[in-house]
Amino acid sequence: MGEPLEGIRVADFTWVWAGPMCTMQLAHMGAEVIRMETTGRICTLRMLPPWPGGQPDPNRSGYFNQYNQGKRSILLNLQEEEGREIAKRLVAVSDVAVENFAGGVIDRMGLGYEELCKVRPDLVMISMSGYGHTGPDSSFVSYGPAQVPLSGLSSLTGYPGEGPMHVGMSYGDPNAGLHAAFAVIAALYRQDATGEGQYIDMSQWESSMNVLGDAFMHQVMNGDQPARNGSRVPHMSPHGVFMCAGEDRWLSIACGNDDEWRALAAAMGRPELAGDARFLTLSDRKANEDELEMLIMEWTLQHDPFEAMDILQAAGVAAYPPLMNREVLESPQLAVRDFWVEKEHPQVGVRRHAGVPYHLSDTPAAVWRAAPVMGQDNDYVYQEVLGMTPEEIADYTARGVFK
Amino acid sequence: MITPIMAGALEGLTVIECGRTGAAAYAAKLLADLGADVVKVEAPGTGDPARALGPFPGGIPHPEASGTFLYLNTNKRGIALDIASANGREALDRLVSRADVFVHDFPPAEADVFGLTHERFRGNEKLVMTSIFPFGSNGPHRDFKAYDLTLMSAGGWTWLNGWPGRMEMPPLKPYGFQAAYQGGVNAALGTMGALYARRRTGRGQHVEISVQECIASILEMNLAFWSYMETPAVRWGQRPIHPIEMFQCKDGGWIFVLCIEEHQWQALVELMDTPEWTQWEVSANRFVRASNWDALRPFMEGWVSQWNTEELYRAAQAKRIPFAPASTLGYLLESEHLKVRGFFVEVEHPAAGKLKQVGAPYKLSRTPWEIRRPAPLLGQHNVEVLGEAGMTADDIAALATGGAG
Repeated sequence: MGEPLEGIRVADFTWVWAGPMCTMQLAHMGAEVIRMETTGRICTLRMLPPWPGGQPDPNRSGYFNQYNQGKRSILLNLQEEEGREIAKRLVAVSDVAVENFAGGVIDRMGLGYEELCKVRPDLVMISMSGYGHTGPDSSFVSYGPAQVPLSGLSSLTGYPGEGPMHVGMSYGDPNAGLHAAFAVIAALYRQDATGEGQYIDMSQWESSMNVLGDAFMHQVMNGDQPARNGSRVPHMSPHGVFMCAGEDRWLSIACGNDDEWRALAAAMGRPELAGDARFLTLSDRKANEDELEMLIMEWTLQHDPFEAMDILQAAGVAAYPPLMNREVLESPQLAVRDFWVEKEHPQVGVRRHAGVPYHLSDTPAAVWRAAPVMGQDNDYVYQEVLGMTPEEIADYTARGVFK
Repeated sequence: MITPIMAGALEGLTVIECGRTGAAAYAAKLLADLGADVVKVEAPGTGDPARALGPFPGGIPHPEASGTFLYLNTNKRGIALDIASANGREALDRLVSRADVFVHDFPPAEADVFGLTHERFRGNEKLVMTSIFPFGSNGPHRDFKAYDLTLMSAGGWTWLNGWPGRMEMPPLKPYGFQAAYQGGVNAALGTMGALYARRRTGRGQHVEISVQECIASILEMNLAFWSYMETPAVRWGQRPIHPIEMFQCKDGGWIFVLCIEEHQWQALVELMDTPEWTQWEVSANRFVRASNWDALRPFMEGWVSQWNTEELYRAAQAKRIPFAPASTLGYLLESEHLKVRGFFVEVEHPAAGKLKQVGAPYKLSRTPWEIRRPAPLLGQHNVEVLGEAGMTADDIAALATGGAG
């Protein structure tokens, strides 16, 4: 039955993580994604670790390889007028263009929507800059890690009585990428019906606030924001991460109602706690949460987190250790899912990468190839897609347009 | 300029949604806000659990004024239906038989009990059915009990959130319902892919989401640190480059000090008036700075503490250094930039009144994101929706009274 976006071609101007996250989803869906890269300004991700052996190499970065699976790469120098003309030729035979430069940059390059529409009138184009392409701060520069504090997520996250926290990864990027991919396919769906493309102005900042909509309601309704309160939440108790036996070992436990709390007490071998007046109802447990958590930790400290997980899950209690990277990669649950991707890469061989979390039964989304090394698809794209002769290609290469 | 035709990109699509975790609600909101006709199915009596979550105006619980519910259910119509009862179920089947999309987030065992299987809906061969499961439909943890915290932990994110060097502090769940939001946006994306495929194949299909996988997919460089270098992930993620850290300013606010590229660092050094420490060997490049950050941190901390937050933010951005404040929500609601972009939208709701809400995550030029109606009251559209599906007034009335099952 093919793939969802079979026959769709994407001219990919993106870099770093947000944009590439978007175009990777389109590649998962079967679109032909062609990344334009240049040795003069190598993608930030290629220049970040991990590299096997720790030796920096733009073609061996695990960070890049994770988020560029299934794409093609060509060398094209957009600093050169001829490079930009060739980019337009690529757009002319593409359905979608994606870029995530800071606001204003793509227009100054002469590759903004209005220009690209001249060569591809029904183009679907998305700009996904940090701040969006309108507004007084639209030219501000931003990266995913900065979206965590900028969006409000940091000021909402943290230990009680302490400062705002980062959340450990550059959430603004993947969140923007996923929302962008959804918007692009929605626009393609529309375009398929009407023949008309359109321009999508996406702000990573605004998409980051979309996953905090409930917190903003708090501010709007009551003039303040939810306090930083560790892992505690108003609607469940216990709800936290508890220290276990061993070094730096933990278990998350959440009880959604009184029954689950009683099941937890029994599973810990402390059934008398279920009838303890301090912990009978949610409001009792919230009022005595320090004591409650101490009692639970007395038990978790006696246990390996995975053992404790099994005991509690058998009793119907939501418990799971916070997995570290190795444990995610070796998870017995993920092992039997069609999730991990291990494709041969020309320079790093076979490595395990996260695959596609949405499983389509009839037209599966999948990774067909590992991430490309720089310029891996020059021949295919320039000859087969753009119809150049080997002589033309050699000429452009010699003059530094394909570099 | 393109003149918007003022219809959503997904106008004409019919979506039925039911669930409990917020994931299905968010997926359906994304579809609804682009114009799909979404019918939210809730349990009679209590409705969606989000109705009990709050926040509430004045802190007074009211099932029609829960902020979480109001946000997650814009642009939807709502019906109350006991899908565990025979006639409630018949009504659901009737709705789904006419729909383009059915999205739910019940875990597998419960979905089986309710009969919410793709098999059951095969009669509608155009249907895209999307099931958001905590761990997917198979595997040893398929039936594990899971809340947001559980899935953030199982996916590997919780581990990354905390302070390095403070191993006595537990890893921490980031604020809110991020597992549900990620399950939701992935579900919307998978659903949209299936709808696009349907244009060619003429057929719908089943889309399955594992929320654990959604989280495991966004761990940045952390998975690869093991598979490429056998390096365990640490709290605060891997930060191989510096500066990338939050510091407190003179006015008590916090700023995120960030330089990704070396030219941004050079601009920062200039902004700092080239203090001596920035010229030391240990500051020479972003990797070296990271290795020596414990020694360098106090210098940066001291410099930042002389500034007010907003001034430093703007001074840095004027030099194209990607600093950002740790915004409070009050600050964001007053942001001039966001006002000019019309980001926050005012929504009038019969029970909660007129309230600002978070607005469009993207602006489509021709088919705009738009709030056309507020979140539904519980059962508000029973008569309208079930009537459209061809049910008689008597049958609808019988459902409302919880008629014989």
